[in-house]
Amino acid sequence: MSHSEQDRLIQMINQIALNNISAGDESAVAEVVAGHVKKFWSRRMKSQLFDYLGQGGEELHPAARLAGERLQGDAR
Amino acid sequence: MLQHFDPNKDYGTPASLSENLVTLEIDGVEISVPEGTSVMRAAALADINIPKLCASDNLDAFGSCRLCAVQIEGRRGLPASCTTPAEQGMKVWTQNDKLAKLRRNIMELYISDHPLDCLTCPANGNCELQDMAGSVGLREVRYGFDGENHLDAPKDTSNPYFTFDASKCIVCSRCVRACSEVQGTFALTIDGRGFDSKVAAGQDEGFLDSECVSCGACVQACPTATLTENSVIEMGQPEHSVVTTCAYCGVGCSFKAEMKGDKLVRMVPYKGGDANHGHSCVKGRFAFGYATHKDRIRAPMIRDSIDQPWKEVSWEEAIGFAAKRLKAIQAEHGRESIGGITSSRCTNEETYLVQKLIRAAFGNNNTDTCARVCHSPTGYGLKQTLGESAGTQTFDSVMKADCVLVIGANPTDAHPVFGSLLRRRLREGASLIVADPRHIDLLDTPHLGDATHLPLRPGSNVAMVNALAHVIVTEGLEDTGFIAKRCEDDAYAKWRAFIQDPRHAPEAVEEVTGVAADKVREAARTYAKAPNAAIYYGLGVTEHSQGSTTVMGIANLALATGNIGRDGVGVNPLRGQNNVQGSCDMGSFPHELPGYQHVADPVARGRFEAAWGVEIDHEPGLRIPNMFDAAIAGHFRALYVQGEDIAQSDPNTQHVEQALRSLDCLIVQDIFLNETAKFAHVLLPGSTFLEKNGTFTNAERRINRVRKVMPPIAGKEDWEVTVALANALDYPMNYAHPSEIMDEIAQLTPSFAGVSYDKLEQQGSLQWPCNDEHPVGSPIMHVESFPIGKAHFAITEFVPTTERANRRFPLLLTTGRILSQYNVGAQTRRTDNQVWHDEDVLEIHPHDAEERGINDNDWLGISSRAGHTVLRARISERMQPGVVYTTFHHPHSGANVITTDNSDWATNCPEYKVTAVQVEKVSQPSDWQKNFHDNHQRQHKFLHEAKPAAE
Repeated sequence: MSHSEQDRLIQMINQIALNNISAGDESAVAEVVAGHVKKFWSRRMKSQLFDYLGQGGEELHPAARLAGERLQGDAR
Repeated sequence: MLQHFDPNKDYGTPASLSENLVTLEIDGVEISVPEGTSVMRAAALADINIPKLCASDNLDAFGSCRLCAVQIEGRRGLPASCTTPAEQGMKVWTQNDKLAKLRRNIMELYISDHPLDCLTCPANGNCELQDMAGSVGLREVRYGFDGENHLDAPKDTSNPYFTFDASKCIVCSRCVRACSEVQGTFALTIDGRGFDSKVAAGQDEGFLDSECVSCGACVQACPTATLTENSVIEMGQPEHSVVTTCAYCGVGCSFKAEMKGDKLVRMVPYKGGDANHGHSCVKGRFAFGYATHKDRIRAPMIRDSIDQPWKEVSWEEAIGFAAKRLKAIQAEHGRESIGGITSSRCTNEETYLVQKLIRAAFGNNNTDTCARVCHSPTGYGLKQTLGESAGTQTFDSVMKADCVLVIGANPTDAHPVFGSLLRRRLREGASLIVADPRHIDLLDTPHLGDATHLPLRPGSNVAMVNALAHVIVTEGLEDTGFIAKRCEDDAYAKWRAFIQDPRHAPEAVEEVTGVAADKVREAARTYAKAPNAAIYYGLGVTEHSQGSTTVMGIANLALATGNIGRDGVGVNPLRGQNNVQGSCDMGSFPHELPGYQHVADPVARGRFEAAWGVEIDHEPGLRIPNMFDAAIAGHFRALYVQGEDIAQSDPNTQHVEQALRSLDCLIVQDIFLNETAKFAHVLLPGSTFLEKNGTFTNAERRINRVRKVMPPIAGKEDWEVTVALANALDYPMNYAHPSEIMDEIAQLTPSFAGVSYDKLEQQGSLQWPCNDEHPVGSPIMHVESFPIGKAHFAITEFVPTTERANRRFPLLLTTGRILSQYNVGAQTRRTDNQVWHDEDVLEIHPHDAEERGINDNDWLGISSRAGHTVLRARISERMQPGVVYTTFHHPHSGANVITTDNSDWATNCPEYKVTAVQVEKVSQPSDWQKNFHDNHQRQHKFLHEAKPAAE
């Protein structure tokens, strides 16, 4: 995956988390983020997110990371 | 006896809306009409046609020509029937010797100062003055023609589309009244008195230099040849007409295309059209010349690489070439390596077929549409809150609104016919609140009610909408009955707790919005206390990194105040292009099948799979910006683009160009060699709205017929091209007419279940949802309940954009549109609309200009984090200090070279409205502009080389 493509996905998911920050605690925010990604992201974008989680996912917002982990769990 | 309303007949005065009927007798015929109806209209309804010159049923009665005089039992004199209301028991005679003599005398006076060149006059065959002379039996003019007259009055030919021939004017004031009452511009007046009175544009400065907006209402109103379309002067009167739908903005006006054979003489707004009721703007009325412009692509073309000349080929060869490439790319790079983009300028049937081609023949969901870059947040935000991705009202609903809140929209420029209707309502006394960084023309319209401008900073919409809601909640202005009955309890309780927080108070966000708190409080009270309050919004809401949040915030405002579910209220997105609503409805988005049915929903997907005979991917596909990123990354290799110019309209041009250059196969279907086509390998000629059958759906969900009036220039309507491509990809498509495509849409889309071409013929138009529950459509939505049962208040956290002004980029650029040009300008730039706007300029406040030593017309270099371009300066106080503005109608302007990749968090709609920039005086074009110029020359040379050598 090219760098800019990865950067864009990180930016997108963090933005989703920030804009739903008032949904509740981290778990509640992660639920909204996961629902959004599930509904709107392509198969490849999701798998790119999982790849990034595998690399440590350092730049992810905590709620975005939790959302990614849950989606990854569901996908297994 | 009441006659059926005939939109082709002029009933003389407007209809009365009264529910009380009065019965009168006219020439012995008894007729019942609504109270307030004029005697003239009552007679016309009984098919008794009283002579008239100054009356027209789209104008208030004026009573100046006196030709419509009648005799009424028990009344003295001969009153004008246009200004006399029908009364119970009235007995009226429209013809007798006394009336005949009076009318003949009046006509004699008119004709004594009128040229007698009927046989060579452009109005010959369509002149009300001539008709009246015939009707009254005028046989002589006893005064002669040697007296003082206006026969040598000069012509004004300054307007490119019509001529004002003052020698033929009878000073009936119809043009002046049309300009004021219908259009609301007040550009025309009657100058002078008595014999000297004459029609004057502006301060008698000629039409082009006046504030005239060329809507054509005056030309349509003129009963003589005084105001005539130049096309009629050149070609003569049309011989037949076809009712169709305008292909410009989201108002979707109905027009009569008036024809001579297959030549279009003029477009006349159709009175029977429910979106426009016989009004028009300069684009729809006059700017149709692009359809026959020499630049039209007239044959399919192919090439192996974008550095090669084009080769003109047959349709068969072009489609075969495209299909072979798509198959090879999928074989090598996988099923998901290709995709397509549908167009908001194409018909419902065409967009439906393109997404079907992608889902069924490409075998993936990589379909998106240009609504991605304009109203995708509307789709998301309204679905989350109200349960349906559409506006809630009819346009006519505004006539019942007491308060109109306009956010991030400029209706008089971008949706002019709706703008005129709104102006009419403001003149009647509705109050106006405009939340916009710019001072828009609507604020200057003559009005009876209050007009408030909230000049907020670009990027602060959510803070503003939240502040309005905060005031409504904390000052007890909510409609608690509506909320309890119609809204979900839990979501409301959470929202209420959220919005009450003092951090949303107008005082707390004053720093962010730049608008004084007391002004915001006052606006909130005005909106909440109005019996009927309506919100209209545009791209100034959606094209932000929080676009979806603002849309939800707008829905929250309407819900909190109970302004949903009846006439005069609602949430009204003003759609940019003609078929934005339709292209979204037709399943163009990567996650939704037609009718907003998610691809992951097994029941909905199953219906499509059964009908289409294929398996449909249950995962969403790529959105346009994701396609670009994937193309640059190398795993997205081919794109089919129908009727869109992504290279000009999408943000961060250099990024888009890089993506397009990365593709192995770009198939562009368009009417011109647009900017995107310069990167294409296959160029398929598109057809204009005049060359095909189909339907458009406007911003009020109104499905209107588009009817073919001339053959497609290259032999195929756009839907036929998609059918050919599908068949070449071994996915059979077989339709004989777009009506069959609509039948398939109706079968698979619950909200369209009741739509058919037959019903459209009967009803004129249909507003979806149209199904068993609403057999003739739904003008107002959510009357009893929401599609999701109860409405859902959404939490609207304000997350400021990362695109902020700093020392390097101290100004904020916001982009928009103007009246005379349309979107990327591909159509309007190829018409005489160029006289009003032949280049994009940068509007800058005098304060910012002075600081930089900038004068009007200086060349300015504009730099952002994304790029650099050069535009001419226009110093303007419409902008607040710190904010600059431009349009994107001309490709060489490179407005989108500067805009960034920032986008809405929920939909990736680009943040066109906020770009941090610096501006300085320069002496030459930018590097991008120089490259653009060179590539433009090269690609046009390639196009010319495609044509077989002349024999």
